[in-house]
Amino acid sequence: MRARLGDMATYAGLALLAVFFATPFVWMTSLALRTPAEIYRGAARLIPDAPTLDNFARVLSDPAFLVYLWNGLKLSAFGGALAVALAIPAAYAFSRLDFRHKQATLVAILAVQMVSPLVILVPLYRWMERLGLLNWDLSVIALYGALGMPLAVWLLKVAFDAIPREIEEAAIVDGAARWQVLTRITLPLARPGLASAFVLAMVTNWSQFLIPFILLERDADWPISVAIFNFAGSVSASTTQLLAAACLIAVVPAVAVFAALQRMIVSALIAGAIKG
Amino acid sequence: MTARGPAPADGRPWPWLVPAVLVLAAFYAVPVADVLRLAFSDATLVRPPERWTTAALSALLADPALPAVLRTTILFTAVNVIALQVFGLLIALTLVRGEARGLRGMTAFRTLVLAAWVVPGIANGLIWQMLFDEAPYGTLNSLLGLAGFGPVAWLSDPEMALVSAVIANLWQGTAFSMIVFYAARKGIDPVLYEVAALDGASPWRTFRSVTLPLLRTAVAVNTVLVTVQTLNTFDSILALTGGGPGRATEVLALFTFNTVFYNLDLAGGSVLALMLFVVAMAMAVLVHGWLGRAR
Amino acid sequence: MKRLTLAALLAATPAVAQDLVTRDRVGLPDAPNVMTFRLTPYDLYSADAATAEHFAGLFTEFIRARPDWRIETQLQTGDIGPEQARLLQQSQAGRGPDCAMVDSSQLALFRDMGVLQPMNMVFSQDEVADLFPYVREAVTNEAGDVLAWWWFTDLRVLYRDTSVVPEAPATWEEAQAAARAAADAGREGLLFNAGRWEGTAFDWLANFWAQGGRLVDDAGAPVFGAGENRAAFLAAIAYYRDLVESGAAPARVTSITNYDAFNAAAAAGSAAMFVGGNWQYGQLRETLPEAQFANWAVSELPGPTADQRATGTGGWAIAALSEDPAKRALCGEMAKEIYAGPGNAYQGLLPTSAALYDEYDAYDGPEFDLFAEALRNGVARPGAAIYPEISNQIQILLGDVLSGSAEPEAALDAAFEAAKAAHARQ
Repeated sequence: MRARLGDMATYAGLALLAVFFATPFVWMTSLALRTPAEIYRGAARLIPDAPTLDNFARVLSDPAFLVYLWNGLKLSAFGGALAVALAIPAAYAFSRLDFRHKQATLVAILAVQMVSPLVILVPLYRWMERLGLLNWDLSVIALYGALGMPLAVWLLKVAFDAIPREIEEAAIVDGAARWQVLTRITLPLARPGLASAFVLAMVTNWSQFLIPFILLERDADWPISVAIFNFAGSVSASTTQLLAAACLIAVVPAVAVFAALQRMIVSALIAGAIKG
Repeated sequence: MTARGPAPADGRPWPWLVPAVLVLAAFYAVPVADVLRLAFSDATLVRPPERWTTAALSALLADPALPAVLRTTILFTAVNVIALQVFGLLIALTLVRGEARGLRGMTAFRTLVLAAWVVPGIANGLIWQMLFDEAPYGTLNSLLGLAGFGPVAWLSDPEMALVSAVIANLWQGTAFSMIVFYAARKGIDPVLYEVAALDGASPWRTFRSVTLPLLRTAVAVNTVLVTVQTLNTFDSILALTGGGPGRATEVLALFTFNTVFYNLDLAGGSVLALMLFVVAMAMAVLVHGWLGRAR
Repeated sequence: MKRLTLAALLAATPAVAQDLVTRDRVGLPDAPNVMTFRLTPYDLYSADAATAEHFAGLFTEFIRARPDWRIETQLQTGDIGPEQARLLQQSQAGRGPDCAMVDSSQLALFRDMGVLQPMNMVFSQDEVADLFPYVREAVTNEAGDVLAWWWFTDLRVLYRDTSVVPEAPATWEEAQAAARAAADAGREGLLFNAGRWEGTAFDWLANFWAQGGRLVDDAGAPVFGAGENRAAFLAAIAYYRDLVESGAAPARVTSITNYDAFNAAAAAGSAAMFVGGNWQYGQLRETLPEAQFANWAVSELPGPTADQRATGTGGWAIAALSEDPAKRALCGEMAKEIYAGPGNAYQGLLPTSAALYDEYDAYDGPEFDLFAEALRNGVARPGAAIYPEISNQIQILLGDVLSGSAEPEAALDAAFEAAKAAHARQ
């Protein structure tokens, strides 16, 4: 009975929150379904008189839009993967080794996270120009790797800390080297943590605006987070309905990647529970 | 016990840290040094530095707008950091509970929260600007009107505008804390909860004695990360209010952005950039102290 | 010979025409000469399909006549400030495009930085002489070089719903009275930009300029807070403040950061009058039902007296950034043959030279007579590097005063001090 009441409270709380989180999407969907003539009708016409899928068709039939989506996915996914890859050994050291100034080093790495791209934007542009790295997707990916890595170090350290040392020690007793322990035992067990770290890094990259804007000069290289503003204006007609449609479509790939990883996180947790 | 392999507590850390440190140095060392140099120069965006000077520093410190901007920044950041974590923790724990009970719709809800997170910052500002529209036909005010509440001056009233900016930021930012807390909560050994249940502990007591203490590291880390993110938020505010009315929603990051890109004042922008970093760093040191105490 | 073959190829196969305009180029992919062109997303790559198609046609025709050229296009986003700053950065570093669209308010800065290259070979003296004076001044230097082609201009006008406000108010007083009456009848009397963005300062400045006010002196130093300018500035603030305090304008104006808000208010039938851009006339025609649109009329912005009128004029220019004469020429020809003429006529944008109004039927509507009339009182934003900061200060000041957070005199003092301090460091 008490659990039942708890379930009801859970649903009530989530329903309230769901309204908050869903309202902007409902509104965007309403806008995306409108014809230009109805775009200024406000909320009174939440469901348009003449709903149309034209806006979605228009956005999707623009070959450039798909290129922007692909660019966004490529930069953010590889950037996130690189961040996690760089963070794994560091996080492992912070979790498993004892050394002097460990806490200070950890905070120092996190301090780098505090240097926002905005803070170093102009010098960064000049530095990348001097290195000849402008207009190159790999340099943006590498930069995303650097940007996301400090956070990934912290998350992975927490994940590694949660894995009992005894499991590793058994392997070490059997003569395995540390890196073998890491790759064969620790990483598989840390899959949920790895997936979370990757998702966090990837999504942060997905909505990055300043870095691709400044480092990629050709619009064909732009990710969707920059290019979406091409749908934001026109002198002769309102394009709000197109912007809304573009936003909704742009959200889909990132959510899809997350949904895929979510299954992995959950299944890894279950596997871990059985073993433990 | 460890006659052969290395003990867990020894080993040289540097081979493990080299990739991370190298990449950070490659991208940050020169630009950060450059920011320091520019802050003490007379450079503009279109003119290279010609001489060393503290003019930019003293001009900005004497700028009567700075106290207001800092106040707005601290208010905006503090409220967001607290609210983001309370929301994030609440949602994460509710989701875990719902999943444990096998309730339906948990994935859908989590996906919804995450979807808000992947909306680009400027688009977030544009969407909320339409929702907050104070015209007689404005979305939120129309809805409130139906429920019998008077119109709210969401964006035209200086104090309300800051609240609105926080709401828009919460909508987008909660997902991050939710994931961090969700992962941390899942990492807690279920046996502890079984023991608590056997002891007949109330949910609140379980939360206080088991969940919260074990989430302490996650909360500390998340506080730092969310603070930094919030401090650096400017794109959504730029699109939502532009920093107005007046300077009511102009946070330090937006002030910096305007200084560099509209005023072309690179030296001043660099000073502000350093200030932004110092504020973030101060927060981190505070949390570090707290972490140290917790150990 | 090669050129001939290419021309024949272009003319012979209509299928190729499709491929002449792609998302990143105009012309054949293997054309020997390349010019890079950075443009806004409003025309060739407009989100509005009809506009994009029309410009694709114009560009196709243009490149067919020059088969050995290919224009590599680069988009800039609608975020003008950072985009133009980025363009200037790149040009100074020698990595800028050969040809680019430059916002008219940024022309002076680009000119002072020495990145604009003359396009004299394209524009005759007569054509330059036919430009509106403020345009001519902005695009030429002392030597008479044509450094850019300002291809369309815009201006601010007063829109009114004639079913509520039958007569066009000519003075501030009349405007406030009409707006009050409309507000009493349940409408939003007079709407204008007062949020934190460039449009706010720009639209409001007409009231300052109408009294002969000047923002900067000849050396580009701010002077708006002293002497006669100060009086004019305070009078113009008082006009806006009285509008809000009397309820003639709703308090929500301090949240308006977008001209689209006026279109929406017109469509919803909530607004009686608004201060808008000339381009909105076409937008209203597109979005309002015919009967409703028939009620809307435009007039010159009201002034302190019926004889003192002004309006802010903006628009975009195309400039050559390359030193290569052939590219400079192509850039100028493109501005002239595509944008300034047929492109403007299609979009209903206002040409910058009087002759073009007669040349195209698109400008036959009665609204264009009014626009041409009002343009005689047009004032461009000062081509001074300090202007963006002055604009910023005006936006802050109006937001503070209209939301009741500051008194006009004190706000003006603060704005003037801030502008002077910023200027001293430039």
